[in-house]
Amino acid sequence: MGLSQLLAPPGREYFALFEEAGANVLRAAELLDQMLASYPDQGELAAEILDCEHNGDRITHHLIQHLNNTFVTPIDREDIHRLAGALDNIVDYIEEVADYLGLYRVEAPMAQAQQMAKILRESCAEIAAALPLLRGFQDLRRHTIEINRLENEGDRLTREAIAALFNDGIDPMVVIRWKDLYERLEDAIDSTEDVANIMEGIVIKNR
Amino acid sequence: VVVIDPDRGFTHVLGERFEAQGWLCTAVAKPVSPPALVRLRPSALIVDASALGPCHESYLDEVCARLPMLAVTVCTGPSSVAERVSALRLGVDAWVSKPCHPDELIAVVDATLLGNRPDGLAVVDAPAVRAELTIRAELHQAFVGGKSLELTSREFEILQLLAHADRVLRREEVYERVWGYAMADGDRSVDVFVRRLRQKLKAASPGWTYIDTHFGVGYRFAPAARVAERPRVAAGHSQVVHTSARSL
Repeated sequence: MGLSQLLAPPGREYFALFEEAGANVLRAAELLDQMLASYPDQGELAAEILDCEHNGDRITHHLIQHLNNTFVTPIDREDIHRLAGALDNIVDYIEEVADYLGLYRVEAPMAQAQQMAKILRESCAEIAAALPLLRGFQDLRRHTIEINRLENEGDRLTREAIAALFNDGIDPMVVIRWKDLYERLEDAIDSTEDVANIMEGIVIKNR
Repeated sequence: VVVIDPDRGFTHVLGERFEAQGWLCTAVAKPVSPPALVRLRPSALIVDASALGPCHESYLDEVCARLPMLAVTVCTGPSSVAERVSALRLGVDAWVSKPCHPDELIAVVDATLLGNRPDGLAVVDAPAVRAELTIRAELHQAFVGGKSLELTSREFEILQLLAHADRVLRREEVYERVWGYAMADGDRSVDVFVRRLRQKLKAASPGWTYIDTHFGVGYRFAPAARVAERPRVAAGHSQVVHTSARSL
């Protein structure tokens, strides 16, 4: 790498990688939504979600590598690192849910899990739409407000879903499986809020 | 064996004798709610009607409906013929009047258990033929034209349950009877298994529909020729039109 490359503003590369990560997050969330909506008929979608997870790892690796190789960054190095990590977390949780449906030998979906996957997909769509706005540090509040609203909705759904598992007479195996899966879905939705908070911080610092 | 009887001395003796025969006996003085009874998964229930109070008939009705394979014996004090007949018609297997000897009661319970054993039923149950479908309980399988549908155990149990019930079965009822637990809110297991069952039925018998969906309620076994132009006619029944029903 030449000196001019090291000192030149390398923003375009970072932003392009973030946008790629956003599209990957949305793709993974769409696949999980589709998988849960049709479960167990399209179990093969778990393999496609795993591909998204690998793709996410590759993008994060490129971002970190880029960070290590450049002196000048368009936004704080710490913010780049945090945003890359938060985006990666979403795909990791999505992949865990898809994988655990098989590992736990889940026979059929829960309506609440299908609703949570829908919320997650909507939230990831907001992220994918907001990330290109980072290039000019444009106002992305309408996206972050919607992500926060969806996260609140996800919290409410998770609590109701977990409470319903503790009604009288339910198979303890069902409780074990679904409590874990609901919590992972909630973690994924929570991670979308982390991404929204980091993006908001970046815009506030750089406007 | 679950014993619901306020007489602790009697339940103690009964419990010891059942356990000597290798049975696990749970004795309680107050009624166990039907969902809790489902969870205990007992083979037999002995109940003193006095422990149930004036609503004992509705309790017995619910228990017999939820747990058709449960051997239910009422062991209680003086009763009228009408009470006994009514209980037996609800599905109670035997009625023993107190005072009685524990050995006598155990012998009655043994006899009811023998009558309720699945292999006992298999002898009684001839293959059920509905439209092109033959349901053979002794083989735990269904056939069309002599060819097996290769149903899984759960798929067969759901088919048999629906085929034997001449009414709409709520999803919760199907789940309780097939899975043996209360259905968690939002659980789509029954829908998934009915969907697979329908796929296999359609592949084997494309000219017929067998299971109607009653939206927001559950499913009903209602064989009908798959003719779109004409109103569907249930096999062996008068014309049935389900305005709120969908069939595959």
